[in-house]
Amino acid sequence: MSAGGGSAATPLGSDLVDLRDKIASRAISSEAATRATLDRAEQLNPTLNAFHELHAERSLERARAIDARIARGELVGPLAGVPIAIKDNIVTSWGTTTCSSKILQGFKSPYDATIVARLESAGAILFGKTNMDEFAMGSSGETCAWGPVRNPWDTTRVPGGSSAGSAAAVAAGICHAALGSDTGGSIRQPAAFSALVGLKPTYGRVSRYGLVAFGSSLDQIGPLTRSVRDAALVHSVMAGHDHRDSTSAIEPTGDPVGACDARAADPASLKGLRVGIPSQYLTGNHPGVDALFARARAQLHGHGATLVEVELPLTEVGISTYYVIAPAEACSNLARYDGIRYGHRTAKPGDLFDLYARSRSEGFGTEVKRRIMLGTYVLSSGYYDAYYRRALQVRRLIKQEFDTAFAKCDVILGPTAPTPAFRIGSVQDPVTMYMNDVYTVNANIAGICAVSLYGGMVKDASGGGESGAGSGTASPDLPIGVQLQAPAFQEPRLLAIACAFESMIGRAPVAPISHLS
Amino acid sequence: MPSVSATRTVVSRRLIVGLEIHVELATRSKMFTRAPNLAHPENFDAAPNSVVDPVVLALPGTLPVMNREAVEMSILVGMALHCQIARHSKWDRKNYFYPDLPKGYQISQYDQPLCGEGSHALASGKRIGIIRAHLEEDTGKLGHELPGGLPADGSLVDFNRAGTPLLEIVTAPDFESADEVVAFAEELRDLCRFLGVTEGILQRGHMRFEPNVNLALVLDDGSEVRTPVVEVKNLNSFRAVRGAIEHEAIRQEAEWMQTGRVMGPGAKSTRGWDDVALETVLQREKEDAHDYRYFPDPDLVGVEVDDAWLDRLRARMPSRPDELRARFAGWGLTEKDIRQLLDDPALSRWLREAHGASSGTDGDGYSLTKLLLNNVMKLANGRGCGPVDLGFTAAQAAGVVALRQTDAIGAQSVDALLEAMCGTPETPREVAVRLGVLQVRDDSALDAWVEAAITGNPQAAADVRGGKLAAIGRLVGAVMKESGGRANAKDAQARLLERLKATP
Repeated sequence: MSAGGGSAATPLGSDLVDLRDKIASRAISSEAATRATLDRAEQLNPTLNAFHELHAERSLERARAIDARIARGELVGPLAGVPIAIKDNIVTSWGTTTCSSKILQGFKSPYDATIVARLESAGAILFGKTNMDEFAMGSSGETCAWGPVRNPWDTTRVPGGSSAGSAAAVAAGICHAALGSDTGGSIRQPAAFSALVGLKPTYGRVSRYGLVAFGSSLDQIGPLTRSVRDAALVHSVMAGHDHRDSTSAIEPTGDPVGACDARAADPASLKGLRVGIPSQYLTGNHPGVDALFARARAQLHGHGATLVEVELPLTEVGISTYYVIAPAEACSNLARYDGIRYGHRTAKPGDLFDLYARSRSEGFGTEVKRRIMLGTYVLSSGYYDAYYRRALQVRRLIKQEFDTAFAKCDVILGPTAPTPAFRIGSVQDPVTMYMNDVYTVNANIAGICAVSLYGGMVKDASGGGESGAGSGTASPDLPIGVQLQAPAFQEPRLLAIACAFESMIGRAPVAPISHLS
Repeated sequence: MPSVSATRTVVSRRLIVGLEIHVELATRSKMFTRAPNLAHPENFDAAPNSVVDPVVLALPGTLPVMNREAVEMSILVGMALHCQIARHSKWDRKNYFYPDLPKGYQISQYDQPLCGEGSHALASGKRIGIIRAHLEEDTGKLGHELPGGLPADGSLVDFNRAGTPLLEIVTAPDFESADEVVAFAEELRDLCRFLGVTEGILQRGHMRFEPNVNLALVLDDGSEVRTPVVEVKNLNSFRAVRGAIEHEAIRQEAEWMQTGRVMGPGAKSTRGWDDVALETVLQREKEDAHDYRYFPDPDLVGVEVDDAWLDRLRARMPSRPDELRARFAGWGLTEKDIRQLLDDPALSRWLREAHGASSGTDGDGYSLTKLLLNNVMKLANGRGCGPVDLGFTAAQAAGVVALRQTDAIGAQSVDALLEAMCGTPETPREVAVRLGVLQVRDDSALDAWVEAAITGNPQAAADVRGGKLAAIGRLVGAVMKESGGRANAKDAQARLLERLKATP
């Protein structure tokens, strides 16, 4: 099926820019688009479990206000009237923000995240909060306290994580864009499992104020969309300095939207591009992933790009480094959920210690507890030097490794994840699960920008996330993702190259579930 | 094994005390957010949990942003204590659970404090070493009563204090008596108030002291033993500091006699001070047991202090109280005047500015002090305000002293001149001209006033001619009256004597 073919008949247009233009020209009202979005979310949510909350009344009201402003000929923002879903770890002054955790069940934030204010002032209709791995800890959407999220391509499989609901919502055609957060691959891996574009911006490019912290030195907010141009548009609204986030960068954002013009979308623009191929990305993958990665390289070569061999020998060490740094930060970041001021508090605490112990034991799920314990351990006196300090040293080396590689190439190409989406419940071993992020964590560790793009469809009969142990049932085609990584603050250039790559591969087909109606 | 203490006699003892001081900085907003700061005078009486915001309460998604003013105040204190100011320092998280600690960690400085080694010379001349001074955020407060003293069901927490900038100063164990510690504490309070970094109201907890106390006991066989160190927490009066140290000195020796326990790993304990029983009370054994899991706070960037920043702060740096005392003494001021100036940092600041605008002699200093304490304060007190709020600058006041020194105005015109200067940008000379109090040194005018005085007071003139020089006062008074105060009294007297051919 060709780009957008299946959705032309819906009131939502083919992609976000298309819908935005239709709303602006009053070919469709924002109210109708929002209502269609909400209806479809209601209809599919029992199957997908993508949303924790929909905010119908508020979003329809805002949509009508946008329609009125457009009717009066007023200037409206670049996302005017377009429904966008947000991950449930981004705080909003309406509804609840739970991070898919019982410890924050029913939590109402009195303030909006900076990016929420920016999106709304650009006219976006933020209509619902999406389910996720609890506190963004997971690569499958299975650690969500409100049940696993399902993949629209095959509802027996995971959509990837942790931005699971955001990926499922866009892949199912509920909306054209959803926000995710990416600490070690949480935007890019679900984008890969769902045939979407997922952008992880440079660390410091997008404000974290109002993003519930997981790994503070790694977290970034980014969009999941159907097209590179849509991703650039949503990203451009969110990017830029925020005085409330000391780690947000002052560097100018450039023009990510302008970078995605027609010239960029012509694969001819790939001519002369130096594409780095790390030898470490060529082994250990699902055969379908290897095949599509090889096909992408061949196509790039065919369009005149130069393939450059680069070395990233610390690729696999990145996972170990990540699983020291991220849990260390997380155990400290999650200390505030103590049952004192807000969130879950145990029913009848015996004393103060009991209040802490039981509130937290009841409120947090297994994976979150695992990482709190891991983080507490690596920061403990006597272990700090062996783990945390060493991890920071390796982090510097990983940064240097990227610097060296980028001296020889413009972008680095590789698979986003070693396998396509696996079956819900099939990966029980935490370390096997963590290996899903082997190609994504290093961009967070080095603080560079990266984007996952649709790379093609594969067959996967087993679906165990590893070879063997096939279920025997017939399997539908599954998408896999290809990742482009670029140096820090080169989002416009990265997105321009991604546009060309997208044209070269062709836009992804639409997930079969989106034909349900 | 029999204890040494059972068989030996103590022949002499030496007290060893080091001090930690927490100073709440009086910035407008908190250490890492824009919420108003409880330690700023405007917020002293804020209702419980009213000077809070999402950052203070550690709501999900909030982030800290460093208060630059708090860093500057800390550097000022560091400079005044002759500390090495770090060119690079960073923020660390100190992790522990307590209901008054909203984030579950305190943002502090672990291994790279803003201020490094320094020292302070006590008035007695003794030097006290400063180990470091670092900046952190204060915690909230737990309470067990409702406002008004009613019993509460469970515990209450007030987050007003949470996030107040807190400068922790650590001294070397250089004190040998409670007197020295109290002298240091008082001088540090003066210093901090002079620098304008805290109001220094001890009852409000603006400064809290934690002495680390132990004894070196010399025994009759010539050997020395040291008693276990005790840290006494949270003392907020000089009386308590003295009481706690003196009590520990006695208690520790008695305890050593009983148990023979000496300082060693894990021997340190924490005690509190009971203000009623006047004794210290054990709070926690084994200080070393805590593991705070310090690590660099990834939400904040490091503090880089460059030369330009330090230069700007040096220019802002007022004098230290001990330096001021020496300078005031050099001006010839009495102890009573000096004490009055040191007690009120605003007065010293005013004088510093006025003296800077004068020709800068000790005489200027003396005259300015007299002008300030006699005339300016009278005017300010009459208006119920401080000297800086009168509407003229200290530099303008220096101009008044200059007019007096050159006899351009008479002593009787000073108060009127100051009054007329309030709220005007004019120079004192311009105001004096406007008021007509500028003394006239024109010979013809003086001659006319002198003639009129002699004519109007023939008896006095005759007395002076006849050698009764005491009568000259009446004639001078007449000249002053005739001139409306513009004549110079000395000139008038000389001219009168000349005219009446009398010699004094």
